[in-house]
Amino acid sequence: MTRFAAGDRVRVLALHKDGHVRIPYYIRHRTGQVTQYCGTYLNPEDLAVGHTSGPAVDLYRVAFAQTQLWPDDGIPSQDTLVIEIYDHWLAPEKDSDDAP
Amino acid sequence: MQNDKGTKGYHDVGGDAAGDIPMVELPWLHWEKQVEAIRGLLGDGTRRIVSLDEVRRGFESFGLDKYNTLSFYRRRLEAMTDILIEKGIVTRAELDAAIKDTTARWSTLDDTP
Repeated sequence: MTRFAAGDRVRVLALHKDGHVRIPYYIRHRTGQVTQYCGTYLNPEDLAVGHTSGPAVDLYRVAFAQTQLWPDDGIPSQDTLVIEIYDHWLAPEKDSDDAP
Repeated sequence: MQNDKGTKGYHDVGGDAAGDIPMVELPWLHWEKQVEAIRGLLGDGTRRIVSLDEVRRGFESFGLDKYNTLSFYRRRLEAMTDILIEKGIVTRAELDAAIKDTTARWSTLDDTP
C-alpha cells in the first residue's frame, strides 16, 4: 500500500540532508499533484555512500505548475513540470504546516 | 524557518540565471563513451561496485573550483576514480603505473610514420 496515488495533492519537504540528494532546491516547499506511482527503488541517498542493501523506497511522478516555479510572466498557466520524487520527500498538501 | 529550503549544492543550478545557452552540438568522444561503458559495468545490478549516485556524490564533493574546470565526462571519470581508490579496489600507485604504461604505449604509436 503506497502513501499516495495519482491525483493526490502533495508538498515537497525540505529535509536539510547533507550529501547527495535527488530533490533539487527549486522544488522544495512546492505543491503539486501525483501523476503516477513509479515503483520502489533503492534510495540514492544510501547508494551515494555505498549502501546497496536497501530498503527500497517508493518513487512518484509529480506535476507542478510552471507558473509556481519560475518568475517569468509569459508561462502558459497549463504548463507543468513533471519530476520524480521519493516518498520521504513528500507530505500530503493538507497536512503541511510549513507553507512558505 | 518558513523559507528555508535546506542545502543547495553548487551543482544544483536549476532556476539560476545562466545567461545565453550555447546551442552547439558537441561530439561524443570515444574516451567519453569508454568512461560511460566502464561506469555502466561498475554500477550494474550484478556488480554494484560503484553506483551512479556514488559518482554524483563524488563530483558534488569536488568543491566549486574543481567542478567548474572539468567537463561532464571528466567529472564522472575523476569521481569514479576517487571512489575506486576510496574503496580500495585500485590504489593510486596502481593507477599511476597503468597511466604511465599506457601513455608510453601511445607515445610509441605516435612516433610510427
